[in-house]
Amino acid sequence: MRSFGILACVAAASIAGAQQPVAKTAGPTLIKNATVLTVTKGTLQNTDVLLQNGKIAQIGKNLTAPAGAQVIDATGKYVMPGIIDPHSHTMADAINEGSLSVTSMVRIRDVLNPTDINIYRQLAGGVTTINVLHGSANTIGGQNAVVKLKYGREADEMLFPGAMPGIKFALGENVTQKNGQTAAQAQGRPLRYPATRMGQEEVLRDAFTRARDYKASLDEYKAKVAKGDKTAIAPARNLELEPLVEVLEGKRFVHAHSYRADEMLMLLNVAKEFGFTVKTLQHGLEGYKIASEIQQAGTGLSSFADEWSYKIEAYDAIPYNVPILLHHGVVATVNSDSDERARRLNIDAAKMVRYGGLTDDEALKTITYNGAVQLGVQDKVGSIEIGKDADVVIWSGHPLSVYSSAETTFIDGEIFFDKQKDLAMRDQMAKDRAALEAADRGRRAIVP
Amino acid sequence: MRIGRIMRAAALGGAYAAFAAPAIAHAQLGVQRQRNAPSVYAITNAKIVTVAGAPIERGTVVVRDGVIAAVGAAVQPPADARVIDGAGLTVYPGLIDANSSVGIGAVAAPAGDAGRGGRGGAGGGRGAAGPQQQTATAPNSIHPVGLQPEVSTVDLLSADAEALSGPQSAGITTVLSIPSSGIFRGLSAVVNLGGINAQAMVVKAPIAEHIGFTPSRGGGYPNSLLGVFSALRQTLIDAQHYGAEQAAYAKNPRGMRRPETDPSLEALQPVLSRQIPVVMEAGLEREIERALDLAKEFNLRVIIAGGEEADKVAARLKAENVPVLISMNYPRRPQASADADPEPLRVLRARVDAPKLAGKLQGAGVKFAFTDGGLTTWGDFLGNVGRAVENGITADQAVRALTLGAAEILGVSDRLGSIEQGKVANLTLMRGDLFGGRVSQLFVDGNPVEIRAPATTATSAANGAWTITVTLDEGEKPVTLNLQQAGEQLRGTIQGALGSSQISNGSIGPTGDVQFSATVTMNAGTEEARFTGTINGNVIRGTVAIVGHPQGTFLGTKPDAAPGRGGRGRPPAR
Repeated sequence: MRSFGILACVAAASIAGAQQPVAKTAGPTLIKNATVLTVTKGTLQNTDVLLQNGKIAQIGKNLTAPAGAQVIDATGKYVMPGIIDPHSHTMADAINEGSLSVTSMVRIRDVLNPTDINIYRQLAGGVTTINVLHGSANTIGGQNAVVKLKYGREADEMLFPGAMPGIKFALGENVTQKNGQTAAQAQGRPLRYPATRMGQEEVLRDAFTRARDYKASLDEYKAKVAKGDKTAIAPARNLELEPLVEVLEGKRFVHAHSYRADEMLMLLNVAKEFGFTVKTLQHGLEGYKIASEIQQAGTGLSSFADEWSYKIEAYDAIPYNVPILLHHGVVATVNSDSDERARRLNIDAAKMVRYGGLTDDEALKTITYNGAVQLGVQDKVGSIEIGKDADVVIWSGHPLSVYSSAETTFIDGEIFFDKQKDLAMRDQMAKDRAALEAADRGRRAIVP
Repeated sequence: MRIGRIMRAAALGGAYAAFAAPAIAHAQLGVQRQRNAPSVYAITNAKIVTVAGAPIERGTVVVRDGVIAAVGAAVQPPADARVIDGAGLTVYPGLIDANSSVGIGAVAAPAGDAGRGGRGGAGGGRGAAGPQQQTATAPNSIHPVGLQPEVSTVDLLSADAEALSGPQSAGITTVLSIPSSGIFRGLSAVVNLGGINAQAMVVKAPIAEHIGFTPSRGGGYPNSLLGVFSALRQTLIDAQHYGAEQAAYAKNPRGMRRPETDPSLEALQPVLSRQIPVVMEAGLEREIERALDLAKEFNLRVIIAGGEEADKVAARLKAENVPVLISMNYPRRPQASADADPEPLRVLRARVDAPKLAGKLQGAGVKFAFTDGGLTTWGDFLGNVGRAVENGITADQAVRALTLGAAEILGVSDRLGSIEQGKVANLTLMRGDLFGGRVSQLFVDGNPVEIRAPATTATSAANGAWTITVTLDEGEKPVTLNLQQAGEQLRGTIQGALGSSQISNGSIGPTGDVQFSATVTMNAGTEEARFTGTINGNVIRGTVAIVGHPQGTFLGTKPDAAPGRGGRGRPPAR
């Protein structure tokens, strides 16, 4: 019976091709008598949560429903904040612009696909916010997009207001194309520089040196204008260097794909030299070896829960990576990097209770609050607190159990996934297909 | 022998010339005609759909020196006119294909090639892709090929009669001809399909700058949709800066370092100043939104070409006064292979809904015209317009979109688009009417053009359901690829052992080289796979690049497309 819940959820997601338009003005919702996992303030038994005007308005016992409120009896059920996936490629119509070593000018925002079916599937896994990153083909990749999974809306409406802009960096094997070199050479294609980790350091240093010069030319122009020089022509905008200047000014987060301790230390040193902080190391499977250094640099880390030894640079990965980092005071998270894993992140968190000895709250933090910190939205999401965005999920049981599944997923107080509605939708979709197939057969172009 | 016949035919007068010499270029005949033949024609006893006003049930159109001299029920043919009895004919303004590669050195499998050189027995649908453009190169540009907005139709136009006979057979007298492919596709011209040489065909230029969103196929920047947008943005920003520098220098050159000349950035100045619009190729809802966003960012006048999901953006298109050039290359049901996965619902829906688009845009108050959309079988053009009429627009609305409506969108309604005194004498004569009738004859710039059976071109090589095996480090993955080709664009879906996704950044080159990206789900996570390969007949093969994985390969086939059946290449019913 309980396991059926999970299966149903997956099946529903795989057939729900048509997007259901969702009413934009959500009325208040009162969730009654749930076990509330606040994540930051412990677990509250038999507690009500009121969602109003897109925010968490009240948390307490025996709350009164405001007029017109939808009331959901959540007796025996669990309420937790929406899951945050700090490393995703869902919704990206293109992931890598790998032609150059520095492609800071490209923006994931330009290629977001708000109709990606994986959005719906992840809502069914209790995910509400994802960090859509450029791929790891080159040392300095493109700009990310932090997105709320408002399936059915336009891309603009899904962008997370107030999230910190970010950029993807990448180190190690993917950049050196270790796995593609032989093929490239066989085809006579030139290898893109750099082919070693030494070269990656040089690319970083070169790019930030150029960014510093560009910033100087901008500052010089501003100074001229300030002095009243009316003939000064603004320097040509350089879309490649603009985001790197923002990194230097602390206005843009760096999310750096990395595996090995040595390459991570290299990046932290380069960042120190140029005076910026790396916000997160992505994957960072050897992070446990340099946990203190990462903590001292003020850097976070987002890792896999497992997946060790699946390639050379992942050989030293261990299941205790995130727990060790957490115990050293590093803001650490678990991410999916996969459309499939993304809808089971609760299970990835549970693995660290089993193998890393984390408490339930610590484990839940790695898929909620800590992710919010890494994306600069900890004041808005990541925990059940009054005043935060109403991004909450009702689970059938404790979310760290394999027998539980998400039943209702709210974003800004609106329902974007509901298991009951999903079940009802399947009949409609079967009818739609039958009607379309009938119309399709009758079309003139294929009948002589 | 043949030459003698031509000379004789030409001396007899243009109206009969093409009957006598079906295989000879109209352009050459045009030379003879202009020297020897009178240029006054009167079409009498015909139904005349002027588009400017009410149709004339029975009347006369007089054409003199390339211009419509008179039209009306009571008009008498002048004494010096060649009279064409139009009984049973309907005369329309020459039809306009509002976005096309016609007239530009197409790299097509030449029609009739199969009969030459012992390559017979090939069957339909094999070999190279449909006619397509190669990306043209501008001399002295410092920008990469595909990002050279100064490439111009006027410089590249060819009066190749073979290439013109296809659209002529569909009743088309005029096209908006795009010079190139790639990202910045260059400056287009409105072109009449006939003339003594290429330059004589140009009605007006430049009409618009054209933007496609196809990544470069060579592997250089930009090789993804991400880079396409940043390259477009940087080029437009550079053009703004260039304009400002040039203006400052022109005002006072003394003491200022001379800004260098850049024809690419120069060509964008009339675009930035809104003198000419940009035509952006965009089909899906999100592609149209992105195109509109880019246009807004740089305050460009924009026209959407393709627009298969334009109805979903209709309110915004109406509010921003953006016309849509609707492709008449409707999606086709792929020849399904036995082990193909069931089609995704949205693919099925897109195919069924395609003919409804014009009606929905009409209802929403969005202006539209029709384009061939890379159609290779010209016999389908009017048939597909007819399906739009069956699905929501009136016949009058369809005629208007093919004539005056298109002329208005392209800014040439002062000279084209209706049968009115003084306008260019472009006429489409139908036996019967436009829907279900037969194209009888055209007048282009006042010269008669006879219709020849449309050349049979190769079918679009990529179209169909491909059963392929992708070999990766994780093993062999059977998948189904559903591909749909429109010009150089490639769309479709991938389903099977690598998950299910829409392909993106797809394109196909003139020699059948294909590339596209797809999101694939493997054991190690979700990755972007870049497929690069070739299509040769019913075989597709190539390599798969996935960041962090060794290079994979793919190989597959599709069921033979049945040649000659199924309505392709047939002229409209009589």
